[in-house]
Formats: sequence, structure tokens, C-alpha cells
Amino acid sequence: MDALVLRVAILVLALALPAWIALSLAVVLGRLRYDRRLREARVDELRPREAARLIRRARGRPRTEWGRWRRVAALTRLARAHDLAAPSLLHPVLADPDPRIATAAIRSLGDLGDEWAIEILVAALRSGSAPRSRIAAELERLAPAPGLRFAPLLRDADPAVRFWAATLLGSYPELAQENLIALTWDRDPNVRAAAVETLGTRSGDAVGAATLARLDDPAWFVRVHAARAVGHVLGVAAAPSISRLLADEQWWVRSAAKDAFRGMGSDAVPVLLPVLMDADPFARNGAAEVLQDIGFVDALALEQPDSPLLERIYEAGGEGLRDAAEHRAEARRPSRAARAA
Amino acid sequence: MTEVLGIVVLVCLGYLLVTNLVYVVLVAIAAIENGVRRNETSSEDYGMLASSRFTIPVSVVVAAYDEETAIESTVRSLLALDYPEYEVIVVNDGSNDATLARLRDLFELEPYEMFVRRVFATEEVCAIYRSAEHPNLVVVDKANGGKADALNAGLNVARFRYVCGVDADTVFDRDALLKGMRLVVQDPARVIGVTSHLTIARDPEQAMAAPPGKRPIDGSPLLAYQHLDYLRAFFNNRLAWSKLGFMLCSVGAFQIWRRDVLEEVGGYSREFTCEDIELTFRVHERFLREGRDYEILCLPDNVGTTEGPDTARKLVSQRERWQRVIDETVWHYRGMWFRPRYKSVGLVGAPFYLLTEVLAPAFEVLALVSLPLALVLGVFDLAVFGVMLLAIAFTNAALTACAILLDDLQSRTYRKRDLARLLLLAPFDLVLYRPLIVWARLKGSWRFLRGDKAWHKFERNAREAPA
Repeated sequence: MDALVLRVAILVLALALPAWIALSLAVVLGRLRYDRRLREARVDELRPREAARLIRRARGRPRTEWGRWRRVAALTRLARAHDLAAPSLLHPVLADPDPRIATAAIRSLGDLGDEWAIEILVAALRSGSAPRSRIAAELERLAPAPGLRFAPLLRDADPAVRFWAATLLGSYPELAQENLIALTWDRDPNVRAAAVETLGTRSGDAVGAATLARLDDPAWFVRVHAARAVGHVLGVAAAPSISRLLADEQWWVRSAAKDAFRGMGSDAVPVLLPVLMDADPFARNGAAEVLQDIGFVDALALEQPDSPLLERIYEAGGEGLRDAAEHRAEARRPSRAARAA
Repeated sequence: MTEVLGIVVLVCLGYLLVTNLVYVVLVAIAAIENGVRRNETSSEDYGMLASSRFTIPVSVVVAAYDEETAIESTVRSLLALDYPEYEVIVVNDGSNDATLARLRDLFELEPYEMFVRRVFATEEVCAIYRSAEHPNLVVVDKANGGKADALNAGLNVARFRYVCGVDADTVFDRDALLKGMRLVVQDPARVIGVTSHLTIARDPEQAMAAPPGKRPIDGSPLLAYQHLDYLRAFFNNRLAWSKLGFMLCSVGAFQIWRRDVLEEVGGYSREFTCEDIELTFRVHERFLREGRDYEILCLPDNVGTTEGPDTARKLVSQRERWQRVIDETVWHYRGMWFRPRYKSVGLVGAPFYLLTEVLAPAFEVLALVSLPLALVLGVFDLAVFGVMLLAIAFTNAALTACAILLDDLQSRTYRKRDLARLLLLAPFDLVLYRPLIVWARLKGSWRFLRGDKAWHKFERNAREAPA
């Protein structure tokens, strides 16, 4: 047995010891080289020899995943350095079957940022050859140049394209208003949600009416965007309509309605007070929560702690709201007294 | 007698050989994955991600129990994250110390009522606080129910569709969330969970104060060996698991999940000693059973530094808990073992855990008893024994050096002299550090067999007072 164990142990040792030495040297020497380049501030700099090497690598047709990523990394460096060879080298990578590699190429297009790159990004948004969220992020980065290209996409047959076009138009308040209003009636709920969200950054009666109509949308996420959009566009005028959503069956919708009220500040108070008596408990405690968050409860607790209105809010909000409000009021009282002194 | 002993020794050595061969294969796969991720990272534009409105918002949930010494640095690092939209939810899980009082003082907390979703049943929530100073900070004070319960309470409060569970003793890099979310943003339909590499220090805040490239590795050999352990776990194992589709442990210190997935599987479970590995197994089990397309990834990016035990006693206490939860989880999900329906998780991942973690203590005991006996009875020659030990030590050292190399290629975080020290420490792991881990594993296995599920939290390290 000794002989067998010894033979195996020697074999293992003969492999492991040189491996440890080689790997240790690789760590130390690799780090020394990296630090030297860092000291000379050459890590990101592209020297002619390096550029030639990167171009050779980017021209290759590697089969392994690692090789394909090395190619992408080379392309990224070339694109960031605005090397003239980058655009032609990017083309084949955009069609890579691996979406992560295609996405990396998309990012490089954002680095180039010229008309040619925008054209390809819009085409990719249309075809979905890479994740559309990343394409959209690059197109948003290049604003305002691509803006005019989005309006035609609102009529695309693919709902995903319409969705992203509507979303991207959020950065262009002067473009395609009529089309966006029309899209609030799109058959695809995601498109309706995107159109309503973008309209929420705009103003005007037509926009207000379009977003208001979507408060009753059958899709809950459209109602979420509609609540926020209506709050921005119509302000307190929309408060009675939004208050209905405080009793919505979906938590996200109720949360969005509360956000809309918070955005209105103290203007929302007259609309919220009657909701405290609503038959629906979600509506009652939602109204009480918003009154707490906009500071109305604190003001009452400090100025009129015995007011029946405050009691009504406490009843709607429950013991937790009462305890929290009284605790805050207690903490603030001495400082007010001190200020007065 | 000597024949039987000889066979036992051969079985132990055979086990060692097989596990190390498996590790070598995993290292080779991890090296490829690391290369891919490195190139991928170099072509990533974090600046754009940090400013884009299309970057998905995240709720960060911190479970804190008796963390008065660590909580400030953790929360401050989270509030300083470079990410477009996120909230930080700290759940004080009925701490007996001044954790809540410190949070109240440091972040100007005020109690507010919040009508949250009660998707997960938890122990009673006593109060919810918001920070007057940081609008994205919420603190939930609740009765003690354990880490899983605290995380579930945080999930009830979370507003966003992705949640990142973190530990209260970890200090994070500014771009930790960006690094973690970059692949989620590309494919949110498939990527349902992400974890990433963390490192270890006695005082994470101090360690993170130095810039990358000049960051020190703790001087104590105990911490240095734990650092090496983390490197091996992340770079030699988890990267390969991630590549092969069986990332079996999304670590508790940094785990990003899609919220709807957590809701679907019922959130974090209180039935196990720790929550992280069991949740990862449960998600795999559910998605594979239903034949759904998904990914749970481990990334090589260093996202933060967590506190490591600075005494042998604390280390043993921590590692025995880890062993227990591995045993509990692998045993609980034994239905997945060797079942083709569970793909690489059932055919490779779970058996790998069984071989290298659950069964390891049994072989270790066998080796500890049989090897000295074999020496005494002359089954083995002392010289042969010496060569064998050297072979094991340098195999381990080579695997460790590989992990150090992969980490340094990826992040260039540490000082050169510290890297050299780690490389030199590596061959002595077998005699200086491994015995502690063997002891912890034995304790953990014994407690698993007895059905002990207590947490046995290790006492926090003393930290330098803030200036």
C-alpha cells in the first residue's frame, strides 16, 4: 500500500507544487505590470501598437464564449477611443446570437453616438436583437438627436416597439402628443401604460382628459401610471377622481394614488377629509396616511390636539397612526417652546 | 486489522483525491467564467446605468439583531450607494442592545404609520420609522423572530420589484447595487437572483476606507485564512456553479431577488438555521419542477466587506452554524438528488454538496482516527505520510493561488504585499486553519443530527471608536 500511496502522492505533489509556484508568480508579476501601467497612467490609453492588436482581435471570428467576449472588450476599447475602425467592426457583433454580446455591442454604439450609431440603435429597438431596455438607455443617453425617429415607431405593429417609443418620448415634451393620446387606447396594456406615463410629463386639457380616462383601465399597472400622471397634469383638480383609487383592490394602485396626493401637498386636504368616513378601510387608512405624510396631522397635533378632526383621522388611521403622531408631537413641543423663548 | 485499516485509509485518500479532482475541474470552469465576466465588465458603462431611468429600482433590506457596533457603517454605506432609485429598509429584529436607539439618533428617525402589504406573516411590528434626513431610509422595529422573519418583515414594507437582502455587519462599495443589477437590467425575465463576491475583515469600515488597489487584508492569520476561504468559495466554486446553472447559495450578506419570486415561494423560511442557502434551493426546486427558464447568478465583482470572527471560538461558532444549515438543506431537498428533472442542480449541484460538505465531516473523522493508527501500526511509513501531507497542502495551495489570481484579475483591490502574504500562507492552511474548520464541521453535523436549530450568533468584534 505504501508504494501505491507514495506514487500517487508524488504525482500529485509534482503537479501541485509547480502549479502553486506558477500561479503565485502570475499573481505577483501580473500585479506589478498592472501597477506600473497605472503609475504611468496608461491603463486606458490606446497606443498605436495596442490599437492594432485590438483591431486584429476585433476582426477575428472566435468560436468560444471567452473569445467572443475578448472581441467585444476589444471593440469597446476601440469605440471608447473613437477609433475609426470601430463602426465597421461592430456590425457583425450586433448580430451575435448571444444577446449579452449583442448588448455589449449596443453599449459601444452609445459610445460612438453618431448618426450611423443612432440609426442602428433604432433598428435594433425595432428588431429586438438585444434587450430593448439597454437599447433605450443608450438612445436616451444620446438625446436629443434621436427624438424625431421615435414618432414613426408609435405606429409599429409590434407592441414592444410602440411601448419603448412611447417611453422614450418622455424626454421630448414637444413631440408626438396626438399620437401618444391615441395610444392611451391601444389594445396592449403595456403600451397604454407607457403612453400615460409619458403624458404625465406634459400639460394641457387634452392630455389631462386622456390620462383621467385611464384611471378606470382594466389593467392595474395602467391605473398606477394614470394616478401619478393625472396628479402631475391636473393637480388638485383630479383629486376627487384619484381618491377612488385609494380603495383599489391592488396595493400598487393604492400606493400610486397616495403618491399623487402627497405630490399635491396641503391642497389635497379638502378632498381627503371626506374619505376618512369612506366605507372602505383601505380608502380610510390611505387618506389618514397621506394626511400624516403631508404634515397635516402633525400641525393639528401641535396646534389643536383636542380637535375632533384629529380624532377622526386617528380613528381612520388606527392606533399606530395615533401613537406615532403623538410621539412626534411630543418630540417637537420642547423645541417649539425653546424657539418661542 | 491492519488490512481493514489500510482499506479505510485508502477510502479516505480516495475521497480526498476525488474531491480535489472535482475542485480542479470547477476551477477550470470558474477561470473561463471569470474571463468572460471580466471582459463583460470592461464593456459595461456604469455611469450610464447609474443615471438611466431604465435601471430597475431596488429595495435593500437589512436584518439587524444586536448590531449596535456595526449598524452605523452598514447603513451609511448603503445610503451612499450610487444607484438611481432605491430604498433602505432596516429591520430591527427585537435587539437587546442599543441598535434602535443608535439608528434613531444617527438618522433622525421619527415614527410614522405605514399601511404596508402583509404578504408574509411575521412577528408583531412595533413601529415604523422614517428618517428626516434621508427620505429613502425606513426602519422597522419588530419583536424578535430571527433573521428570516426580519427579512420577511422588510419585504412587506418594500416598495420595489427587486429586493436586495444584506447583512447588518457588512460595508458596501458605492457601486455594489450597480454591479449586482447590471445583468438583471439586461434580462429581468430570466435573471431572478444574483449574488456577488464579498470579502472579510475584522473591521469592515476600516478596510473599506482605503481606495481599491491599496486596500489592506487583515494582519491576523485567522482573518487572512478566512479571506482565503471566501476567495475559494466565490472564485473556485460559486463562479463555476453559476456557469453550470446550479448556483446553490445566494449569500445572505448580499442577495438580490425578484420580489414576485419570493412571494411565489413564500419568502424566507424560519424552519431552518439560516435562510440564504435554503431559499436558493427552494427557488431552484420550484422553477425546475415547473420547467421554467431562469438564472441565478454569482458575479465575481467585489461588492463589500463583511465582518469576520476574530477569535477561533467565534469562528467555530459561525462555521458550525453554516455546516448545520447545509446539512439541513441538503437533507430537506434530498428529493432533488440525482433526478434528471432537476437538471444540473439535481445531477451535479446537490450531489456536489453532499460529497464535499455533508459527507466531509464523516471522512474527516475517519481520517483523523485511521491515519495516526495506521502510522502507529506500521501500515504507513512516516516518510510516505509526510509526502502525502505535502501533496495535500500544495494541492490546496495551488487551488488557493488560483482563487487569488482570479480575484486580482477581476478587481485589483488589494496591496501587493498582502497578496504575497496570502500566497505564502496558502500551503500552511492545512495545519493552521483547516483543523478549526474540521472541528466546526463536526460540531455542526453533530448538532444537525440532534436537531438543534439555534442561531448561536458570534459576538461582534470590538471596533475602533469613530473619530
